[in-house]
Amino acid sequence: MSITLDQVTKRYQDQPVVNDVSIEVGEGEFFVLLGPSGSGKSTLLRAIAGLTGIDHGRISLHGRDVTHVRARDRGVGLVFQNYALFRHMTVADNIEFALRVRRMKAADRRARRKELLKLVALENMDERLPGQLSGGQQQRVAVARALAHKPQVLLLDEPFGALDAKIREELRRTIRAVQRELGITTVLVTHDQEEAFALADSIGVMNHGRLLEVGGPSDLYAQPATRFVATFLGAANLLLARQGADGIRFGSTPVNASAAEPVQAGREHEVVAVLRPEEVEIAATREGLSSNYIARGAVEEIVFTGALERLRVRLLDEPSAAQLLGPSGNGDARLEITRTQPERRDLPLAPGAQIAIGARRLHVLPTPLSSFLACAATEAEAAQLAHEPLLESLSTRMKTRVGVRAIDPQGGAPAPFAGVAAISAGPNAANTVEWLIRHGAGEVLVLPHNAPSPTRVFIHWTDESARRATLAVSASLLRHVAAEAVYLGIVPEGAQRAGRSLPMRALLDARSEAQQSHGLEMRTELAIGETVTELTRNLSAGATQMLVLGIADVSQAATAYRSLLAAQPGWPVLIVYRPSETRAAPEIAA
Amino acid sequence: MKNVGQREPNVIPGFGITLGFTTFFLSAIVLLPLSALVLKAGGMEWSRFIDVIASPRAIASYKLSFGASMVAAAVNMVFGFALAWTLVRYEFPGRKLVDAIIDMPFALPTAVSGIALTTIFAANGWIGQYLEPLGIQVAYTPIGITVALTLIGMPFVVRTVQPALQEVQRDLEDAAETLGAGRFYVFRRIIVPTVLPALLTGFTLAFARAVGEYGSVIFIAGNKFGYTEITPLLIIFKLEEFDYAGAAALGCVMLAISFVMLLAINLLQVWGRKRMMASR
Repeated sequence: MSITLDQVTKRYQDQPVVNDVSIEVGEGEFFVLLGPSGSGKSTLLRAIAGLTGIDHGRISLHGRDVTHVRARDRGVGLVFQNYALFRHMTVADNIEFALRVRRMKAADRRARRKELLKLVALENMDERLPGQLSGGQQQRVAVARALAHKPQVLLLDEPFGALDAKIREELRRTIRAVQRELGITTVLVTHDQEEAFALADSIGVMNHGRLLEVGGPSDLYAQPATRFVATFLGAANLLLARQGADGIRFGSTPVNASAAEPVQAGREHEVVAVLRPEEVEIAATREGLSSNYIARGAVEEIVFTGALERLRVRLLDEPSAAQLLGPSGNGDARLEITRTQPERRDLPLAPGAQIAIGARRLHVLPTPLSSFLACAATEAEAAQLAHEPLLESLSTRMKTRVGVRAIDPQGGAPAPFAGVAAISAGPNAANTVEWLIRHGAGEVLVLPHNAPSPTRVFIHWTDESARRATLAVSASLLRHVAAEAVYLGIVPEGAQRAGRSLPMRALLDARSEAQQSHGLEMRTELAIGETVTELTRNLSAGATQMLVLGIADVSQAATAYRSLLAAQPGWPVLIVYRPSETRAAPEIAA
Repeated sequence: MKNVGQREPNVIPGFGITLGFTTFFLSAIVLLPLSALVLKAGGMEWSRFIDVIASPRAIASYKLSFGASMVAAAVNMVFGFALAWTLVRYEFPGRKLVDAIIDMPFALPTAVSGIALTTIFAANGWIGQYLEPLGIQVAYTPIGITVALTLIGMPFVVRTVQPALQEVQRDLEDAAETLGAGRFYVFRRIIVPTVLPALLTGFTLAFARAVGEYGSVIFIAGNKFGYTEITPLLIIFKLEEFDYAGAAALGCVMLAISFVMLLAINLLQVWGRKRMMASR
């Protein structure tokens, strides 16, 4: 590997700006770090260059551990957004700077300079001062300067940020060509997804200091694993769907899409499906569609953009139809559609027209946390719960909605629950959790009043059948909170004598599964004693802790863990329920 | 179509008025008094003029005035830069206070600073009493004069270098570092050349101010004949003897030397700025 980052963490004033990032960049690979501003991508690049120290983790370049090596001894070339050329020096002196530092002979310097200027197509500009060059030319000089000392790694920090569109594209081609020709391992930081697609062999998407996903441009676009990546890489419509034993459906309309997580013990899940604007098919009637029908809609807005036409369509409310997942509830979410000119000519539309909508290609996100549903005795209380700070920040960061529902555990059978049910903590929480799970909820979030955003999340499961789901839920949660993940393995007192190799093995297995299948970096800790006592002890150790608890037995929630859910002031607890296949599914009261 | 030939609107209207005002101001405040000076001196006989300006006492005073001013400005260039660097690059308790104290020599009546310095550096003063046994005498020597001139020139350097240092982008240093340059190399090759024009301006201002300084120097100089007499002091002596022409003659010499030196420094700067301007 050319660049290896191993669990790199950088904090500013105790806030992690780069959080547990591990990346491997292959020899000669063009790797793009993509993310919104403030996602930590530039800090990470500076850490690779050695200009910023890191608080935790290791960085190696070509197998050499450089974590504690100074920037000037790392052998990297860095290009800045604002060029950072030495203005009092000529182009020639700028390019030769690194060679002069290394006391190279004048003739050799000259030869190398000519070579580099040819490479970036700036021949005969040697004696100009940077101020006499255009922005694009200055950035070419900066690239040549960064390559002068034959670095092993080229790092580019938003190199096109200060240039206008046309020059930007030209320079992009130059950089790609230079990179190919030299075969130099390159990392580029940008917030522009188009730039990432155009340049990258491989893209890593960052948000809130975490590396969310890594993959090839087309794979990431077609099969994102997270909502953030789906919406950040191009436009995406997010739709809520249900996954049952018979496949995926919107309301009662089955659609042709494959799911990531298998259905366990016949219990239905709520899932999120990604529908790209260009994969939407529209026709005047349902019969006119060649692809899967998903809903009817009314055209609200049509924008002509040259090659493409953009439509915004309001979905008509039908029980059988797809539901859009907007950040702020149902009301103002619109389906985005793009059509090519030939498509437009075949079916001219005007605002107000009613159309049938089909999906040519749907991708179901493997992310288990689809939406939240705040549940309380009355709608008003539930609405209040929905405004709990932790729930609000989670739903905003996850770009999902918080529904509101009044529940009555003593009353008759409710409609099945979907998504993550949220309830407030208290003496009755345990009973409510059991009731919710018996009526279809797979995940229940128990929230103490005014709980702060956690800085440490403990993960524990009581039954192996809940392991996979608990890890998936934890990974999904931790992508959206800046917290440290700790898997807590608990061994009963008696088992200690039987030898500790087995539990240690389980811990390591859990860690590697988390890393490989879910991209979740977590620490592991082993505790010896009674489960609830140990969980309580660890949770009490800090002010801002949270627990993700996987269970496979419904009655456990109400009995064994009652004290955890009733504690004052208490901690947020996210319960993940997955029954084991051998055990009978709890009868859903009909 | 826009109106062709109409000048672009400006914040302050009237090129004619402003140019007229500038010319008037420059003439009344600067040029006229200077010509009066030259005229006054011109009323002298040539041989007498030479006698006055080339007397050993006068020549000693030129050496002292310009020499001490040069040394003071040079010292200020080094320490003013260090001060500005500290103020720009570091955050420390009391930074605002230090920043405010820098301006004190601007506001203090120069006589006051002269008296204060003399008190401190006299053989029985706070600092002087420790320097005395070492054989270093500050008060009533050219060293004392240089100290006084350094004090009054210091804020000029700090205040001109400070904004220039603020503009040196950290990225430049980072770039140099990734290219393999050590700290001292970065300082010598990147930081100093970038702030050099500002440093020269500061030097010029501090030098010009020091040459004309009178108040603070006469107290600490002790005014020993031919040893610690600065040219402005000689001029005062001439005036006290009602030898206006002699005073004017000495004034003319100061004017000429100052003009040549300032012109030289300015030309140097223009040359430097041209290199920098090209890159803006």
